[in-house]
Amino acid sequence: MATAPPPGTAPPPAKALSSGKRPSPRIAQIKRTFYFLRRNTLAIIGLAILLFLVSIAVGSFFYNAPSDQLATYCGTDTGNGVLLSNGSNAAGCNAVVCTYPYDQPAPQPNCFPVDPNQVSVLPPTASLAHGLGPFPFGSLTTTADTNEFFNLFAGMVKGAPWSLGISAIVVISGSMIGLFLGATAGYLGGYADESIMRLTDVFLAIPGLLLLIVILSTAGALFPGFYGHLEILLIAFIITDWPIYTRIVRSQVLVTREQKFVEASRASGAGTFRILRRHIIPNSLYPMFVQMSLDIGTIPLGLATLVFLGFSIFPHVNFPEWGSITAQSVEILSSTLQYCQENSACLFPWWQFFIPGTALFLFAISVSFFSDGLRDALDPRLRR
Amino acid sequence: MRMWVYIVRRVLLMIPVIVGVMTITFVLTNALGTTQRIETFIGPSKNGYAPQLKCDPANTSPNAPMCANPAYTRAIHALGLDKPAPYQWGVYIYNSLTLNWGNTSKSSDASQLYGITTSTSVITVLSWYLPYTLELAAISLLIILALAIPIGNYSAVYRNRPFDQAARVISFSGYAFPTFLLALLILLAATQASGGFVATCNGGSDAFNSWFGSWPSYNCLPSGSYPNWMGSQNHFHTTPTGFPTVDAVLNGNSYLAWESFKRMILPALVIAFSAIAGILRFVRNSMLEVMNLDFIRTARSKGVPEKQVVRRHAGRNSLNVTVTVLGLTFAGFIGGFPIIEDVFGLTGVGNLLVQSVKQPLDYGLVFGTTLLFTIIVVVANIIVDVLYAYLDPRVRLG
Repeated sequence: MATAPPPGTAPPPAKALSSGKRPSPRIAQIKRTFYFLRRNTLAIIGLAILLFLVSIAVGSFFYNAPSDQLATYCGTDTGNGVLLSNGSNAAGCNAVVCTYPYDQPAPQPNCFPVDPNQVSVLPPTASLAHGLGPFPFGSLTTTADTNEFFNLFAGMVKGAPWSLGISAIVVISGSMIGLFLGATAGYLGGYADESIMRLTDVFLAIPGLLLLIVILSTAGALFPGFYGHLEILLIAFIITDWPIYTRIVRSQVLVTREQKFVEASRASGAGTFRILRRHIIPNSLYPMFVQMSLDIGTIPLGLATLVFLGFSIFPHVNFPEWGSITAQSVEILSSTLQYCQENSACLFPWWQFFIPGTALFLFAISVSFFSDGLRDALDPRLRR
Repeated sequence: MRMWVYIVRRVLLMIPVIVGVMTITFVLTNALGTTQRIETFIGPSKNGYAPQLKCDPANTSPNAPMCANPAYTRAIHALGLDKPAPYQWGVYIYNSLTLNWGNTSKSSDASQLYGITTSTSVITVLSWYLPYTLELAAISLLIILALAIPIGNYSAVYRNRPFDQAARVISFSGYAFPTFLLALLILLAATQASGGFVATCNGGSDAFNSWFGSWPSYNCLPSGSYPNWMGSQNHFHTTPTGFPTVDAVLNGNSYLAWESFKRMILPALVIAFSAIAGILRFVRNSMLEVMNLDFIRTARSKGVPEKQVVRRHAGRNSLNVTVTVLGLTFAGFIGGFPIIEDVFGLTGVGNLLVQSVKQPLDYGLVFGTTLLFTIIVVVANIIVDVLYAYLDPRVRLG
C-alpha cells in the first residue's frame, strides 16, 4: 500500500550517503530494492506465503509419512461414491485395510474407525489418533479408478518438494535455453536472428496446453517404456516454456547492445563472448526474472490440467504432487455429490479438492504478487 | 492504399509460421508407427493395414508364405513412406496446406461420443464444431473487454489503494486457480442450486436447463424435437452458417437461439475470469505509463476536470496497448477452451480434442485440432496487428 513512509525513515541511498562508509553498490541496490518492496503490502504477503511453502518443502524431508511412501488404503467403489470396505481387500490394492464402526472398540491396533453410513470420511477424532494429521488434513482422499485411499496430509507434505521442484526445474531450464538463444539472436543479428526468431514464432503460435498434449500423446508412441514418466513430462514442459524467454531476452538484448558501455567495451578490444557474458546478459536479466516468477506458479496448474484430461503422468497413481492430487480428487466429485443427494447421511468431501486446490492457488498467487512487487521496485519509473 | 499492402504482407508472413507448425506436427507424426500413420491419414481399413497378409488363408502354419497387402502398399506410396524424410515432409505439408488433414478413427472416444460411425475426414468433423467454439470465444472476449478496460483504468488511477488491490487479487485468483476445478465447482454449484442431478443431461436437471439453457449440449434436448436444420442428434451441425445461435435466429426459432446463448454464458464467464488477469495487468500498466506522460500534466494544469483527464486523455491512449495485448494473450485464452468445453459439455473443437486424447488416441483429431487452434491464434494475431495499425496512425506500416 502506498502509504507515506513513517517519519524518520528515509530511503537507504540518502542514509548511505550521510554515513561515512559507503557500502558496495550492489548491496546498496539490493537494500534500495527491498526498501521499495517493503512498502508494497501484496508483495510482502506473497513473499511470506512463498517462504511458508518453501519451508514446508524443506521440512517434508524430516517428516515420516505413516507408510513407506504414502499411507495407502483400500476400499470399494459402490458406483455412487467410494465406501471404505470392512476389512476386505479390493483387487489391485497393495495394503489390507482394517476398519471398524467408530462407535465400537478397535478389534486390533492399526485399524481405522469409519462411519459406514458416510462416504469416504474418517470421524474427526480418528485422524490425529492415527498419526494422519488434524482433521480435515488427515482425511483420506480417494482416487476414482483404483479404489485406493491415501492420506491427504502426507500427500500434501510429501508433494511440496515435488511440486516446487518440478516448477523450478522447468522454469530454470526453459529460461536458460531462452537466455542462450535470445542473447545469440539479439547480439549476432542477421541470419542467426531470423532463424531463431522464426522458430520461436512457430512455437509461440501453438497454445501451450495443446503443445503439451500433442507432445505427450506422441511421446507415448515413441517411448512406450517411458510413457508418463517424469522425464518426458519435464521435457514437454521445457519445450513449451522456452520460446517466451527467447523473445523477452532478445528484445532486451537489442536495447542493451546499443548502449555506450557496450560500445566502450568493444572499442577496448573485448571479444563477443566476453561482451555477452559481462555486459549484455547481466543487463538483460530482470525482465526474464519477472517472467520466470510468473511462469513458475502455472507449472503445477498445467500438471493438474494434464492429469484431469486423463494423462497418467506418473508411474503410480498416488504420486505425491499437488496438481495430480487436485485432479484426482475432482474426478469423483459429481458422483459423490449425487450420492450425497440421494442418501441424506453424507458428508460432502470438500477437503479433497479444497486443500490441494488452495495449495496450488497460494503458490501461483504468491509468486505473481512477489514478482509484481519486485518489478515495481526495480523499475525506477514506477517507483514514484 | 498502404494499409492494403500491410495486410497482404502480414498474411504472407503468416504462411511460414503455419508451415513451421505443420513441420512440428510432422516431426511428432514420425514418432508413430507406420501402420498408425497410415490409419491417421487414409483412415482405418476394413481389414487393417497389416503389412503382409497370408496368401493362402487356409494355411495356418506360422511359416506360411506371405504376400503384400495391396492397401498397405498403396498407402505407403501415397504418403511417400518409402522415400526419404524430406520427401515425406513435402507430401505432408502439401496435404496439410490443401486441407487434407487425415481421417478420424471410428473407434475412438471422440467418434463414439459424437456418433461418427464411419471414418470421416478430420476437416469435415472440425467444420461441424468450429463455429461453436468461435461463438464461445466471441462472447467471452466481449465479457473480458467489457470488464478489463474500465477496471484496469480505475486500478491505475487508484494505484495501490483498496480498489486496485481488490481488483488485482480477484483477477489473479482466476489466473492462479486450476481452471477445471473452478469450472467444475461452478457447474456443481449451479446444478445444486437449481435442484440437483438428473443423469440424462450433462449432470443437470430441468431446473438447471431452464436457467442455463439446454442446447446444443449433445444430450440435453428431448429426441424428436429437432428441427430439420439442426443436423443429427450427436453433432448439431446447423445450416446454413453452422453458428448455432446465428442459425437459430436465421431460421426464426427464437427459443433455441435463447437456449443456445444461455448455454454459453456460464462457460464464457469462467473463461473470462481465468483469462482476465493477464489483460488487466497490461491495461493497468499501460494506463500507469500514460498517466505519467507530459500531456496529462498539461491537461491537468489547464484545469480539465480529473474525470475527463482519466476518461478522454489517458483512457483512449492506453487503449492501443490493450489491443496489442489481446493478440499476445490470445494463445493462452484459447488454450483454456478444451477444459471448459469438456466440463460444461459443449460441442466445440476443444471438447473434441479432450475426447480424442483418451485411450485409444485418435491421432488424426489430435493433430487436426492442434493445427486448427494454431491457425485461429495466428489469424487473430494478424487481425489484432491490423487493428492496431488502424487505431494508432503512428505505427509504421513498413
